[in-house]
Amino acid sequence: MDNGKKRVGLYGFTGCNGDQLTIIHSEDKLLDFFGSAEIKSFSLAKSDNDNTELDIALVEGSISNQEQAEQVKEIRERTKFLVAIGNCSCYGGIQAMELGGGGWDKRFRAVYGDNFFELRTPIESKPIDVFVHVDFYIPGCPIDADQFFYCFSHFIRDNVPAFPDHPVCAECRWKENDCLLLKGIMCVGPLTASGCGAVCPSHGLPCLGCWGPVDEANVSSEFNLLKEKGFSIEEIKNRFRIHTGSGMMKPLKKILGVL
Amino acid sequence: MREIVVEPLARVEGEGGITVQIEGSRVKKVRFDILEGTRLIETLVVGKTPEEDVSITCRICAICTISHRYAALRGLEKALGIEIPPKAHWMRSLMHMGEMLESHSLHVFFLALPDFLGYPSAVAMAEKYGEDVLKALELKKFANHIMKMTSGRMIHGENPTVGGFGKYLDHTTLLNIKKQSQKYIPYAERALEILASLEIPDFYEMDTVFMCCEPGNNEFGIVGDQIRISTGEVVDSAEYKKLTNEFFVSHSAAKHCLYKKKPYTVGALARVNNLGERLKGQAGKLYKKYWNKRWLKNPIFNNHAQAIEMVWALEQIPGYVDNILKYKKDPPIVAPARTEGSGVGSVEAPRGTLYHYYQIKDGLVAESNFIIPTGQSLEDIEKYMRKAVENLLSQDADDQTIRYHCEVIARAYDPCISCSTHLVQVEHV
Repeated sequence: MDNGKKRVGLYGFTGCNGDQLTIIHSEDKLLDFFGSAEIKSFSLAKSDNDNTELDIALVEGSISNQEQAEQVKEIRERTKFLVAIGNCSCYGGIQAMELGGGGWDKRFRAVYGDNFFELRTPIESKPIDVFVHVDFYIPGCPIDADQFFYCFSHFIRDNVPAFPDHPVCAECRWKENDCLLLKGIMCVGPLTASGCGAVCPSHGLPCLGCWGPVDEANVSSEFNLLKEKGFSIEEIKNRFRIHTGSGMMKPLKKILGVL
Repeated sequence: MREIVVEPLARVEGEGGITVQIEGSRVKKVRFDILEGTRLIETLVVGKTPEEDVSITCRICAICTISHRYAALRGLEKALGIEIPPKAHWMRSLMHMGEMLESHSLHVFFLALPDFLGYPSAVAMAEKYGEDVLKALELKKFANHIMKMTSGRMIHGENPTVGGFGKYLDHTTLLNIKKQSQKYIPYAERALEILASLEIPDFYEMDTVFMCCEPGNNEFGIVGDQIRISTGEVVDSAEYKKLTNEFFVSHSAAKHCLYKKKPYTVGALARVNNLGERLKGQAGKLYKKYWNKRWLKNPIFNNHAQAIEMVWALEQIPGYVDNILKYKKDPPIVAPARTEGSGVGSVEAPRGTLYHYYQIKDGLVAESNFIIPTGQSLEDIEKYMRKAVENLLSQDADDQTIRYHCEVIARAYDPCISCSTHLVQVEHV
C-alpha cells in the first residue's frame, strides 16, 4: 500500500449482479472509483484479479452452495473490513423468501430432479452473515449508487458512515405522495428501510419491501392493519417475505407462531 | 492429461468457467461450466400474484431486468386476457431500447473490446483509448437514463406493471430523450469501426442455426409472438418447448438446449443474420457495408452485430417518443379480464430470445417456466470452443493461447450466467 490507497476487492455470489452493476453504471464516478483505491479484484469488470490481503471487501449475493461458503470465509480471513452490499448479501434476497420454512429439498428436486451437480454442492440460499462476520450492511435491491458512494468514501478514509434509520414512509411524505395504505392498497413502506427515495409509491405503486426491514419496524401493527383491510394471512406473509429473506423471519414467527 | 481451467471467467455476468481437457494430441473435453448458485425462482413465484411475480422475475438478472419484466408481462397479460393501451405499448418499446443500448454498450466496450485490444479492462484501456472510453460511458449513461425514466429505476424499476404503467413520462423528459438519441449514433458507429478494423480469427468457423423473434411487417425488431429460424421456418412462440428441448448436463446449473438435435445461437448475431436485410437508415447502410457470409459462421461477429443494433436502437427512439406523445391522456392500469389462463411471453433480451410461460389459477401463479437465452446458446459456445481447441492443438499452441481463444469465444456470446441458471419447468409444487 505504497500510495496510501486502500486495497479493495469486489465479489459476487448468488444473485443478479445488480449491485456490482450499479457501480459500473455510475458512469460519472467510475473512473474516480477505480482511481480512489487499489481495486484488486472485480471479476465483472476486469480480468487481472488478485486474491490478496484486503482493507475492504464489498460482497454481493447470497451463499447458495458449499463452495461459496468456503470462499466467503476465505475472503473474510484476508479482509479487514467486510461490507455486505445488496439485499441478497444482507438478507438472502428473493431466493431466501422461504428461508426457515423448510421444504427447500423438495423445491430443489422440483427444478433439477435427482440430477447430480458435478462441480458444486447446492445448499439453501442464505445471507453471508450466517457464515462470516459482517462489518457493515448496505441494503437495497439493488443498492442505491449515491448511498453506496457516500459509504465508500467513508470506508476509504477509515470512517464508518452514519446511515438513515427511517422507513420508506419518511421519504414518501417528503415527496408529498398520497398514502396508499389509506386507499386499501397493500404497501409495506412502513416496514421497509428507506434509501430508494420512495420510488414505487411515487409512481403510484405500492412499496414491495426490496430494501429489507427497517430497524424498529412495528411489524405486528402493519400486520393487523392489513388484516383489517381484508387481506388474508397468506397474502400478507407473502408480501412481507418476498424481498426480506432472513429479515422478517423473527417478527413473523412471533406473530404467527410458525413461518 | 493436460487440463486448462479458467475459473472464474472474468468480464461476464455471473459465475462461470471453462475447462479444457487434452489427452495426447486429442481433445477430450471442452466445457463451459455454469457455477452460479441455484435460486429456484420458478418455485418461488408459485402462489404469488402476477404483480409480485413481475417484481421477482425481473430480479433474475440485473443486465436484462427489463427483458425479464417485459417477457413476464407479455406472458401474464396473455394469461389474464389483458390488452394494454397503445401508449403503454410504446412506453414499453422505449424502455426495451434503453436496455438493448445499456447491455450492448456494456458488452461491446467494457466486456469484449479489452480482449481484442489487449487490456484487462476498459478502465485500463482508457490510457490509449481515453476518448472512446469516455464516449462509451456517455452512451451507456444515456441508455441507463432511458431505463431509469421509463421503469422508475436504473435496475429493477417497478413502474412497468401488469396492465400498463404506474406513471407515464412527461413531455420534457420524452423530448429530451428524443433529441439526445441522435447525438450518440456516431459513438455506436465508432464501436463498429474499431471492431471492423480487427483481424477476426477464422480457424473455428462453421455453420450453425440462428433463432430470434419474428417481429412481423417485414421489419427489424426485438419483440414477437413467432420465432424465425435460419432454416426458413417460422414457429409460434407458444411452441417454445419444441424449439428449445432443454436437457441437464452435470457441469452446468443451466440446462442446455437443442433444436431438432442441433445446437443453435440466439442474440444480436442471430437477429442480424436472420433479419438484417430489413434494416433501414444508418443501421441498414452499416449492415450493407460490413455484413458478409463469415457472420454466419463465426460467433465473434456477435460484437459487430451488437454495434449495428445500437445504431438501430438509437434510430428507433424518435419514432417511439412521437408515438407516446400522440396520446395526450395517461391510460389507467388495465384490470385482468379473467383469473385463470395460460400464456407465453417471448421477447428478445440483448443476448437472445427469452420465454416466460405462466399458468394462472384463482388469480395466482400456479406454474411457470422460463427459457433463457444463454442456456440456448451453450451448446454452440462449446461447439465453437471445441473446434478452436482442436485447431490450436494441431498448431502446437500453448495453454495461454488456447485459454485466450476459448475466453474470447465464450465472451463474444455475452453470456448472462445468473439468468441462465433458471430455465427449468416446474409442476405445481
